[in-house]
Amino acid sequence: MQADQGVIASTIAQEQRSTRDARHDRLFGWLLKGCALLVLACLLGAAGSTLWGGREAFGTFGWGFLTSAEWNPTDDVYGALVPVAGTISTSLIALLIAVPVSFGIALYLSEVAPPWLRTPVSSAIELLAGIPSIIYGMWGLFIFVPFFSDHIKPWLISALGRESCDVHEAGNVSWVAQHVPFMGKMFCNENSFGGSVLTAGIVLAIMIIPFISSVMREVFQTVPTRLKESAYALGSSTWEVSWDIVLPYTRSAVIGGIFLGLGRALGETMAVTFIIGNKMKLSPSLLDPGASIASTIANQFGEAAGLQKSALMALAFLLFVVTFIVLLIARLMLRRLAHKEGR
Amino acid sequence: MIEPAAGIHPQSTATAAMAPTKLQVRDLQFYYGGFQALKGISMDIPEKKVTAIIGPSGCGKSTLLRIFNRIYAIYPKLEARGEIVLDGENILDPGYSMNRLRSKVGMVFQKPVPFPMTIFENVAYGIRHHEKLSRADMEIRVEQALRSAALWDEVKDKLKQNALGLSGGQQQRLCIARAIALRPEVLLLDEPTSALDPIATGRIEQLVEELKNEYTIVIVTHNMQQAARCSDLTAFMYLGELIEFDQTEKIFTKPSKKQTEDYITGRFG
Repeated sequence: MQADQGVIASTIAQEQRSTRDARHDRLFGWLLKGCALLVLACLLGAAGSTLWGGREAFGTFGWGFLTSAEWNPTDDVYGALVPVAGTISTSLIALLIAVPVSFGIALYLSEVAPPWLRTPVSSAIELLAGIPSIIYGMWGLFIFVPFFSDHIKPWLISALGRESCDVHEAGNVSWVAQHVPFMGKMFCNENSFGGSVLTAGIVLAIMIIPFISSVMREVFQTVPTRLKESAYALGSSTWEVSWDIVLPYTRSAVIGGIFLGLGRALGETMAVTFIIGNKMKLSPSLLDPGASIASTIANQFGEAAGLQKSALMALAFLLFVVTFIVLLIARLMLRRLAHKEGR
Repeated sequence: MIEPAAGIHPQSTATAAMAPTKLQVRDLQFYYGGFQALKGISMDIPEKKVTAIIGPSGCGKSTLLRIFNRIYAIYPKLEARGEIVLDGENILDPGYSMNRLRSKVGMVFQKPVPFPMTIFENVAYGIRHHEKLSRADMEIRVEQALRSAALWDEVKDKLKQNALGLSGGQQQRLCIARAIALRPEVLLLDEPTSALDPIATGRIEQLVEELKNEYTIVIVTHNMQQAARCSDLTAFMYLGELIEFDQTEKIFTKPSKKQTEDYITGRFG
């Protein structure tokens, strides 16, 4: 009798437990979903509030806000073309320099370097990633920019560009500028001093190299040894193994790493504000000062009110849009590559 | 204790009488840093025969195989001394072109490792390192290689698909196709069926039987039945030494060394 009751009691207990478990699992599921939705809410909230803050600027200038290169607080006329172009061009320059260099660093560390050298160099890269951007900015302004103006800029002008930005003015025009379109305009001398779009791009490259190269190094190490050996066994050289086997195998992670770096370059504020020159003028020359979205906001937010403040908010919203478009391009690129490989 | 050189030469001359020698190994020593993994190996591997290398784990059989195409050279601190003569030239000579060696000596590894490319590109990839072919010629070469590897009928309609979609056995035959696409003279197989199921294993063994008409095959295997089934000669290695090297039939019926007998009867290893 007692034994029976025991069995019944335990069955009841089991039933209670399983309903309780189901309830807990449901709660747990909601909790997880809530965490995930929080990210989405933050993103939409930030994008929405900058759009709301910029409504006055968008309303006043309409599409002209995107296409106008005039930014004039005195007359309260604002156009975003200069900072948007500055943001994109500095980031592109940074990628152009940082991607090949990072690829080289990562390949050297994962494929070529003797084992005793790997750890110190890898730690140095990680330390480089930890340097605050204000230090890069300071170094850029006080050391790199003067050095660049004295030594690199004259060489660039004589090798790739031309002595004067005005086409009608006399002055030496380099062979490259005569034969390659746009080169003369990109590297012409406007007699400006201090920072420029190019110096900002170079310093940005130095800042994002640690990110890109450490991601690349890590994923290169995940390539199975036997895959590389099979390629070597077919007569591939180290370069061919790296380019044909290692890179395609790690493709999506590598592109992820590059876009991580690009994301940082697009939004980088402090260092760029120091060295971009902060001039609201559209110029095709990379040796001219310019402005980026982040540097414009950092420079003007303190004194801004009314329409100017709204224009800065609108700029912030544009930075969101630019970043979003960049991510979208990354996705499309990955999909096209996968298609090409027959997946 | 065995005196390797004295114990082996008579037998290797016996095998040499049967078929011309393709790979002549003379007093080969191999070092992993300070550790000596191979101790004075000498053997004559005959042309267009299947030579199996057996022995317990760690005996140096894979190490030996990996010297024949110098794949070990991609790692630092590994060193081979001695001589391996292929067509009258010592392949261990630092002046011997690595690219040429690898076009003459192909290798298939333990686990199937297709490259992250299409099936067609997997086979064409190696050829491109050695020859410049027109598109049409390349298609012919790839088809020939896939036919020789008994894979053509299964993949001819999906050459543009990623090779990772194939089954394990198909992937391994693709790896064989990739190796023979270079038209090597020697084919090294490093435990080629250890990751495959019995049916796929049977197909690979059958393939080895067909391929020996054209290639000199050296196969390392853990599986003694496999060595007995598909090889003409068998070498037994133990602790970095070549204990016995003879006709497969003789090794498995009347081995002349006690250690060989103990191993093939399953008393150790």
